[in-house]
Amino acid sequence: MALPVSAATVPAGPVRAVSARHFMRLKLRVMGNNFRGQGWRIALFVGGALVGLWFAVGGFFLFAAPGITGDGRYAVLVAAAGGGLLVLGWLLLPLVFFGVDETLDPARFALLPLPRRTLVTGLFAAALISVPVLAVLIASLGLVLTAWALGGWSAALVAVVGVLGGLLLCVAASRAVTSAFATMLRSRRVRDLAAVLLAVVAALLGPLQVFGLAALRETDWTRLTGVATVIGWTPFGAPWTAGIDVAQGRVWAAPVKLLITVVALGALLAWWSRSLESAMVGAASAGKAPARRGATGGAVAQLFPRVAGWARRDRFGALVARETRYWWRDARRRANLITIAVVGIFVPVMINLGGAGFAADNEQGLTTGASDSSPVLVTLSMLFVGVLASVTLANQFGFDGSAYAVNVVAGVPGRVELRARMTAFSLYVLPMLAVVAVVLSAVLGRPGWIGLTAGTLAATYGAGLAVNSYVSVLGAYSLPETSNPFAMNSGAGVAKGLLTLLAMVVSAIVAVPMVVAAALLGDAWLWLALPVGVAYGLGAALLGAYLAGDVLDRRQPELLATVTPRR
Amino acid sequence: MTVEQPALALRGLAKRFDGTIAVAGVDLDVPAGSFYGLLGPNGAGKTTTLSMAVGLLRPDAGSAWVLGHDVWRDPVTAKRLLGVMPDGVRLFDRLTGAELLAYNGLLRGMDPAVVDQRAAELLDVLALGDAGRTLVVDYSAGMKKKIGLACALLHGPRVLVLDEPFEAVDPVSAALIRDILTRYAAGGGTVVFSSHVMEVVERLCSHVAILAAGTIKRVGTIAEVRGDRSLEQVFVEVVGGRTATGEELSWLSQ
Repeated sequence: MALPVSAATVPAGPVRAVSARHFMRLKLRVMGNNFRGQGWRIALFVGGALVGLWFAVGGFFLFAAPGITGDGRYAVLVAAAGGGLLVLGWLLLPLVFFGVDETLDPARFALLPLPRRTLVTGLFAAALISVPVLAVLIASLGLVLTAWALGGWSAALVAVVGVLGGLLLCVAASRAVTSAFATMLRSRRVRDLAAVLLAVVAALLGPLQVFGLAALRETDWTRLTGVATVIGWTPFGAPWTAGIDVAQGRVWAAPVKLLITVVALGALLAWWSRSLESAMVGAASAGKAPARRGATGGAVAQLFPRVAGWARRDRFGALVARETRYWWRDARRRANLITIAVVGIFVPVMINLGGAGFAADNEQGLTTGASDSSPVLVTLSMLFVGVLASVTLANQFGFDGSAYAVNVVAGVPGRVELRARMTAFSLYVLPMLAVVAVVLSAVLGRPGWIGLTAGTLAATYGAGLAVNSYVSVLGAYSLPETSNPFAMNSGAGVAKGLLTLLAMVVSAIVAVPMVVAAALLGDAWLWLALPVGVAYGLGAALLGAYLAGDVLDRRQPELLATVTPRR
Repeated sequence: MTVEQPALALRGLAKRFDGTIAVAGVDLDVPAGSFYGLLGPNGAGKTTTLSMAVGLLRPDAGSAWVLGHDVWRDPVTAKRLLGVMPDGVRLFDRLTGAELLAYNGLLRGMDPAVVDQRAAELLDVLALGDAGRTLVVDYSAGMKKKIGLACALLHGPRVLVLDEPFEAVDPVSAALIRDILTRYAAGGGTVVFSSHVMEVVERLCSHVAILAAGTIKRVGTIAEVRGDRSLEQVFVEVVGGRTATGEELSWLSQ
């Protein structure tokens, strides 16, 4: 029974050390098991891989162009700008659109006796096994070709090392940033700070856009090359330009640039490793809020937040109230709202200010006045915002997870369900869109266009709601039950990104009449846009809820099964 | 009252997942007013069976009736009579206990005043009133079970289907849940619940069914199934367990 346990019986160290190889094999095995017996998952994966390959080949030829043409003048420009864009994309896209693949959830390793260094290198190695990484690798081999064509084998060899370093940098950056943000959003105290930080990050999109459009217009390529040279000395461009430097005789620059890459990589991994720790323990103690006392009123009064106070105390009202609470209380949903707010303001402002000259070339006659943006361009940018806002609902049932069972058991009619979800989401989004409309017309100095902006937003948002009702019923997928709001479920990440993209494209197509009207009707449209847009959007949304609700009625148990995470 | 409808009737319910058979044709009649225990080892198909019986999982074959109403053909009426507490399913846990109850009540089309009154009573009886504005996600496992039960009871269902109501519940909460269920059954309600805890089943149930490998192995009143042995002996015999001989796992002793 009570055997004396001496210190000598402490288990000896592991017989075989755990290495990154184990993590990579684990990831492959988990991915493989996810495909088992699920033909459609394999199909999605293959589809995603093909799209990835297509982009990869396109990127390859872009990067290889200076080498193929044998023209070394723009080699640095292509390498620095293209590579920098890649790194920036890896940094921002997971935050804004796609999330990161959390096939191997760090929290699962919390109980294993693994040194943190092993864990970080292991998870890092596992993160390298993915379609996007492969695509970037293929694309960046174009740089190796360029280096070889311009500088022979030694340059090519340096380019290979540089490209691999750059690839590692991309992956490390995306992991470190999402992990850090997840930590911030999880802790209830600093989540407002996180919102501000996310805003700053998204604001970086602006200058980038201006730079890109300037590049399109600028005939003075040498000045751009100067900018590219500077970028080449930052971590964004250093790994990609090292090979070109050797090819062009600046051999001394290569080791320095590789060193910059290594230091940046080390810093990112260290940062990731720190936030990883909190992600691991965070699963166990996700910031327990103190029991707030002093609830006022009955249970029903407590359920309805003030913004939904107008709703009747019935089934529809309860759904609206619950959804409204969830859009704020669920970190995952809140992250989406913040993204809409930030991107919704910045992108249209940047497009319309930065693209002003671009548009002026095509649209003579409309360019008098305070700003030289055009109604078509404004309409297009509003289209983007409306579509982006509504696509958040593409997986609205996935947010609920297995909790959706409550609605199935209660037998909620599909139409009521969808209408209530749209209403609750709109309580947050419509004020934001109104602000976007006002801010944009103010920034452009065109207060008369407010009807145009608001009308287009209403139309595209409504059309998007309709399309995404269908997508959310038919294309739902389960989200992992982790506290990382950016986590995606294993494997088919590319395919899910594609589904989002498809939903956006279809929503945009449904809203195209607004663009056509803006192009054809001229000044009259400035007045008609608001009433027509609102009617169009409202009609589309109601019709969407009516039709998709029918589908939902027939598919409730199947939908529940697809959004329930497999354990 | 000549022929009374069974509270829950299952006929030939079957389900397979990716080629493995989870439930292979379950027939069951739960008499109205009974306290019915569904026993089975882990992975026997208890959750799958109950999910199909309440309309959460579409069966490959077979049908289910609640007091004569087909769950899959006439779900609205059947679901109105049912109170369900699924296992391994999250609640809308970013609401407080009171909010969750209000949500469930209104979703069932209840009058707000009645919801308020019943919610307050349930929170009080289940000792959840102290939790105040704590979100359900921050509740302990036992508290989550209790709020789940409260949600299932709120609209006064005729048939209560509970999946593992006593799992991960401390003895105090378990006694409370037992108490409420006994009172509910005494008042004419029917309780169906799954469990693998013999003592609870033996103490509470009037009827019992033993499910193993997706089929019903034994069924009847508790006296019929048990005979002159203990329920545990019958269960282990039916399921076909093994006992350790003491030879294996010798490295476990220090």
